[in-house]
Amino acid sequence: MADRPPACGPCLGACDGKGLATFQGGLLANNPISVQILGVCSALAVTNKLSNALVMGAALIFVCVGTNLLVSLLRKVTPRRIRMIAEVAIIATFVILVDQLLQAFYWDMSKRLGAYVGLIITNCIVMGRAEAFAMRNRPLVSVLDGVANGLGYAAVLGLIGFVRELGGNGTILGYPVLAAGPDGWYVKNLLLVGAPGAFLALGFLIAIANAIKPPAEEEMRP
Amino acid sequence: MRRDIYTALYAAVLGTVCALLLTAASVQLKPYQQANRKAERVRNILGVLDVPFDKKAPWAELEGVYRRNVRIDGNGANELYNRIDPEGEVLSVGVPLSGRGRNGPIQGFLALAPDMRTIRGITFYEHEETPGLGGEIENEQFRKKFIGKRIAGEGRIGIRITRPGGAAGDGQVDGITGATMTCRRVERMLNDRIGVIVAEAGHGG
Repeated sequence: MADRPPACGPCLGACDGKGLATFQGGLLANNPISVQILGVCSALAVTNKLSNALVMGAALIFVCVGTNLLVSLLRKVTPRRIRMIAEVAIIATFVILVDQLLQAFYWDMSKRLGAYVGLIITNCIVMGRAEAFAMRNRPLVSVLDGVANGLGYAAVLGLIGFVRELGGNGTILGYPVLAAGPDGWYVKNLLLVGAPGAFLALGFLIAIANAIKPPAEEEMRP
Repeated sequence: MRRDIYTALYAAVLGTVCALLLTAASVQLKPYQQANRKAERVRNILGVLDVPFDKKAPWAELEGVYRRNVRIDGNGANELYNRIDPEGEVLSVGVPLSGRGRNGPIQGFLALAPDMRTIRGITFYEHEETPGLGGEIENEQFRKKFIGKRIAGEGRIGIRITRPGGAAGDGQVDGITGATMTCRRVERMLNDRIGVIVAEAGHGG
């Protein structure tokens, strides 16, 4: 945080001049999965289909934004000693809400995601942003941080889901792209559908992300 | 002291607000969730009875298929979901299963041939077993193993779910790796029901 973040015009300073840096941080420079390696469990588990990955990403954006907003609004009245318990209570509320909504309006998806929606409660990204950012920043910029980190998570899940569904099934969002099946030329890569495929896809993704922009800490090491 | 009271009050208020919010959401969403569960159950009954239907069909259409093909009859202690053809002839018989799993209640259906001896299919539409382990009971690979088994044979009543790879003979089915408890509970649930069916039919052994 040495250099001053660029001030951005549109919000008239409501974001304390760190809107752009916050957004870029969550989405790219400090991406929760590819840089911080958080939330990997769900990134591996629900990405064998693109649609699962996208819904999971949307759920996390919702939880992250809601939690950051509430934690930020309450940051001055929350007793320090129980702040983490308060954060967990808020996170749990949003997660159960998402779970209930999915069960009501998106039954199939709810069955496919199974326990992983509920497990957002234990996703380090949400807790991490609440504790590291929303606790010390104003509501608006906290919401922005939630959006950026949620999008960063969703983007990585979407990429892995895209690769795994295309390679493993020859489809994108259920629509056939590569002709698989008895008459097609494409042989489905079952490795990508299984758990090892998730590890491989994520590993390559992190490697590519690191190759494009080396992490700052390692540059400083002698 | 005052800080302690404030902390306790804060926790109480936050907890109450969260609880109220979730209660309201739960009450509002319950009708939709129940409709989904009902449709899920009907899809499972149709599936286990081998009735052809469109899995993505809306409820109204699903209900129509269900009403045309399934007739609920009583048979003593058993509630029978009979698959019927247009003339009313019974093609296969669905029997509800319910019992305790490892993590929570399990609900399912057992489909039998009209002779009430041969298994045509089995399905579990509600359970809380661990995904990937006990949850595999809903996997088709596991459920297919029951097809064609006879619920009673020489000197035995019921099906045995053995350790994985240990199944031998007509009345045995391979269990699931890492899900011994779930399999044992499923076996008990299934055999409780088979016991009642056999007693009712009076052809035990």
